[in-house]
Amino acid sequence: MKILVTVKRVTDYERKVKISPDGLSLVTEGMNFVPNPFDEIAVEEALRLQKAHGGEVVVISIGHKDASKEIRQALAMGADRGIHVIAEELDPDAVARLLMKIVEEEKPELVIMGKQATDDDANQAGQLLAGYLGWPQATFASKVEGLDSEAEKAQTPGVVIAGGEATVIREIDGGLETLKLKLPAIVTTDLRLNHPRFASLPGIMKAKKKPIKEVPVASFGVDITPKVRNVKYAEPPARKAGVKVADVAELVNKLKTEAKVI
Amino acid sequence: MLFEPTEEHRLLRQMVADFVKREVEPQAEEYDQKQALNVPLLRRAAELGLLGLTVPAEHGGAGMDAVAAVIVHHELSKSDPGFCLGYLAHAMLFVNNFYFASNQEQKGRYLEKVISGEWIGGMGMTEPGHGTDVLGMKTVAVKKGDNYVLNGSKTYITNGPEGHVFLVYAKCNDAITAFIVDRDCPGFSTSKPIKKMGMRASTMSELIFEDCVIPAQNLIGVEGKGVHHMMRNLEIERLTLAAMSLGIADRCLTEMVRWSKERIAFGQAIHTFGQIQRYIAESYAMTEAARCLIYQTAKSVGPESRNRIGSDACKLFAAPVGKTVADYAMQTLGGAGYCVEYPIERFYRDAKLLEIGGGTVESHQKNITKDLVRMVD
Repeated sequence: MKILVTVKRVTDYERKVKISPDGLSLVTEGMNFVPNPFDEIAVEEALRLQKAHGGEVVVISIGHKDASKEIRQALAMGADRGIHVIAEELDPDAVARLLMKIVEEEKPELVIMGKQATDDDANQAGQLLAGYLGWPQATFASKVEGLDSEAEKAQTPGVVIAGGEATVIREIDGGLETLKLKLPAIVTTDLRLNHPRFASLPGIMKAKKKPIKEVPVASFGVDITPKVRNVKYAEPPARKAGVKVADVAELVNKLKTEAKVI
Repeated sequence: MLFEPTEEHRLLRQMVADFVKREVEPQAEEYDQKQALNVPLLRRAAELGLLGLTVPAEHGGAGMDAVAAVIVHHELSKSDPGFCLGYLAHAMLFVNNFYFASNQEQKGRYLEKVISGEWIGGMGMTEPGHGTDVLGMKTVAVKKGDNYVLNGSKTYITNGPEGHVFLVYAKCNDAITAFIVDRDCPGFSTSKPIKKMGMRASTMSELIFEDCVIPAQNLIGVEGKGVHHMMRNLEIERLTLAAMSLGIADRCLTEMVRWSKERIAFGQAIHTFGQIQRYIAESYAMTEAARCLIYQTAKSVGPESRNRIGSDACKLFAAPVGKTVADYAMQTLGGAGYCVEYPIERFYRDAKLLEIGGGTVESHQKNITKDLVRMVD
């Protein structure tokens, strides 16, 4: 089974984001970049499915020329080869239409993507790709047994493939929903699907011999003019200091009249 | 680029940093208090390929260099220097030393067991009466038929209580010779764990040889030529110990800066006070200097390339940096720094060892001067 996985390079979520003085962009200079954590879960799921069913895992990144580092990390985790579409920052629609071209050429049975990237939290590319391809989709894939379960310790895939179908459990408000999809299909991963493995040292040493194909974005003939324009970035308002109350009566009074919660 | 010369080095640092965040940091305080080596964690490090870091791929290792070894010790020591010391005693003092000094038959018997972490290794050099004066060691080995018989003792041996196998130096006809000693060799025993100030997430004990019989095929290299591998391995040992001081300094600096932003005194954050600025700025400058020296020197240390003066200089410089930055961090945190609830007191206790273990600062001063006197016309 051939599986395509997408990996986006995002700014380190543990570092504070800075906004440019004009408020139109985020400052990326000097920032540390890491693979989108949801994408690492997608890579892990693909590797587990490959172990169970054989085939090939191909990692795709669309973005900055340095995103080859994030592809290399996925190869060190165990993926077979990479495709790097070198482009400036794109909107999710352009990403989906570029991915459609790659899917048409690679003809995978499954595309696994992070449900969203932790930088812009758009949560659109997977759904748009399914729409453009006319493929079934299961978003927010999760693991019913949980991350402390024996199944997770045994590195069992959360997505079950059998008889040309994928069974996916997804998180919805107030519960879990089980979907069966005809392959080929798109799956996007949520946080509780798996614990991604570390790239082991032998994996790191093997990764340098694995191929990454670099493709300029212009070669796809896709119009990548953004449909969404970033108008303004602003910091969330700083939290105001609290007030001290003298007694319970004053607290209840304030909750009634100022906070209006009781 | 100085610190990560290749893509593999960058990926290695990322992997070790992830491992430290997810699995090493959460257990560090617990094992310091238990005064025990976390053996399952050492085996987790084996699964990631870290125990055979410097062993070539054809023998089941990762085939990486001294820069990679520095990266691993640097990152581990940002969280748990005690565990890192147990790792160092296994991966550098036993595995690396053994690999480059042993023959094929010996590699076949031991390598897989120690790279997989099934067996824990250590190394015995220091004796109760001979530390810096290592060539004066008194442990003797006498050949009897197909065996060697060892008598004497070694002390302050990291991984002594847990170790299954040790690389031991002893004198054979008055010349230093290296041997492999298995825990089950007749006449071999270890003392109770020796309690210590810091580095408590690793353990140490004496190794005791009382007419200890080891098979002659456990001789490493040639009788009387042990000093060669001993001196070669001391270089990567000193370099990685220096990297541990660097990790301690990095962590203590981060903790110090965070605290100075949050702690308010006289109505302002304490980083606005000149007295605190001196602690922070000097810590930064000396940590950066240690970083440059260690990574620069690491490029010239390897099985075929020697740099004794460089590795001695790294440890001579970095060990007091680790200790001083930990001290400055404790002074900045004040009462909180002194309490076990915060990690600084643990790093402070751990940092001191690096001025003693793997060579005292006085031994580095002696070596460096000796080398310079020879080199300068």
